Amino acid sequence: MMPLALDILLACILLLVFVVDLLLPAEDKRGIAVVACAGALITLAASFVLDVQGTAFGGAFVNDAVALYLKRVFLAAGALGVLIGMDHADRFFPRRQGEYHLLVLSSLLGMTLLASARELIFIVVSFELMSMPLYVLAAMRKSERSAEAALKLYLVGAVSSVVTLYGLSLLFAAAGTTMLSGVTAAAKAGNPMVVPGLVITLAGLGFKIGVVPFHMWVPDTYEGAPTPFVAFLSVAPKAAGFAALIRIFIEALPGQKATWAPAVIVMCVITMVVGNVLAIPQTSVKRLLAYSGIGQMGTMLLGIGLVTPDGLGMLLFYLVAYLFTNMGAFAVASVIEDASGSDHLDAFKGLSRRNPGLAMAMLLFLLSLGGIPFVAGFWAKVGVFVAAYRAGYVWIVVLGAVLAVVSVFYYMRVARSIYMERPVAGTEGRVPMALSMKAAVTVACVGVVGVGLYPAPFVETALAAARALMG
Amino acid sequence: MLNTGLFLVLSAVLFCIGAVGVVTRRNAIVAFMSIEIMFNAANLAFLAFARQHVDMTGHAAAFFVMAVAAAEAAVGLAIIIAVFRRKATVNLDELRELRG
Repeated sequence: MMPLALDILLACILLLVFVVDLLLPAEDKRGIAVVACAGALITLAASFVLDVQGTAFGGAFVNDAVALYLKRVFLAAGALGVLIGMDHADRFFPRRQGEYHLLVLSSLLGMTLLASARELIFIVVSFELMSMPLYVLAAMRKSERSAEAALKLYLVGAVSSVVTLYGLSLLFAAAGTTMLSGVTAAAKAGNPMVVPGLVITLAGLGFKIGVVPFHMWVPDTYEGAPTPFVAFLSVAPKAAGFAALIRIFIEALPGQKATWAPAVIVMCVITMVVGNVLAIPQTSVKRLLAYSGIGQMGTMLLGIGLVTPDGLGMLLFYLVAYLFTNMGAFAVASVIEDASGSDHLDAFKGLSRRNPGLAMAMLLFLLSLGGIPFVAGFWAKVGVFVAAYRAGYVWIVVLGAVLAVVSVFYYMRVARSIYMERPVAGTEGRVPMALSMKAAVTVACVGVVGVGLYPAPFVETALAAARALMG
Repeated sequence: MLNTGLFLVLSAVLFCIGAVGVVTRRNAIVAFMSIEIMFNAANLAFLAFARQHVDMTGHAAAFFVMAVAAAEAAVGLAIIIAVFRRKATVNLDELRELRG
């Protein structure tokens, strides 16, 4: 009945955070994170309570099953991201922590709008609303590394935006209208501008989700930016990039799949190989997670490249598993980095003796990233590869299995440091951990185990959404 | 009346100049200017096609793109200033704090 309700609610919460930030005294602004986190959770709850299905603005905005599913993923990632950043922001930039949470929420608003956008200008504007806060967030720490990370993220992000924009202008040329339905019609009529338009758009969005050969910014940005922000950056904007890919390619241009699907498959295979191979020699846990994340993006991209309801559904499910797993892993990395000032593997040595609970949580996340049975990541990987097998890509399944073994090797190197080695001298004590961080890691653990033990409801919702979109 | 092809060629040339600039120039300000050129190339393409189709949404798109480019410029310049304050350089090759 009210298709825009969720987005309007989120925008109101954003304004509320802005006002509360002005009212709170400069010395203690911790309340702001509670408001932001609660706001994201309320919006998430509202998505289950309110009837928000339907279209608005003459079809430019649509809340179908896929949009709603993606919005829930974004909102969960946003709430968890705020929770992970709560203590870090209060310690390292206490006076500006209101800005931090405000920017996370505005990026989140861009994502929820992007999931529903079915019109070119709408896509561009919501894409930018999502991206621009991220550049600022990367620069929040007053350090050389943070500023450098922000500059690299900005340059790549801006190029990505402008390339996407150029591609969309060609799609507009073909359609003569900015509605994606018009693009579909032009593609059916065989307009020659559609193919260059979709190729350039694909390259632009490829930058955003960090697939090879557009991946160089990922490890540098992850290493330098504030770690709790990286937890958010590594999941939510990537999922939003997939949202744009789903809208433009799977929904509007399924008839052209002979043109773009092979390109996506090639990108995804190269990304899987490069990400997993380059992760092997890394000694910084954040860089290791960055390269492994590139590999995971490759696997997820398979869900787009298959162009089957199964593939798309399993991509949607993968996003949920990846959300809890990757945000959890970066949350633990953030705890260690804030305590020891380093994210080197050495800083993780002997974590099992210093803080058994945290070590257990990290092991769980690593197992899930590696796709070991009965945690969330296992079902996600199996699902995508089963979909690939059904679509006839047996060689990709074999390659994926080999790369999964490679990934277990480097994930277990981190686990070995945690469990088999003694703490480095001077870091023997218990790792200090704020209450909010404990809560965040617990939520991520519950998510990983819960989705691992009861994947059925998530898989069914994801598959139903994908089938509704692809008919 | 000029035909759309000429505008399109100009826009493609501008876009390529910008793309080459981003890839080859090592000064962050020059890379940033190159991105602005690319934004304007995309804008020109939108306007040329809007004129061809006699469609006002294309013209509206150009205004949105201008607003987006302005916001992008504000954020970009702020980040470049933040880098310059800490490193006293904006040369991308001298930013070596992060490996890669």
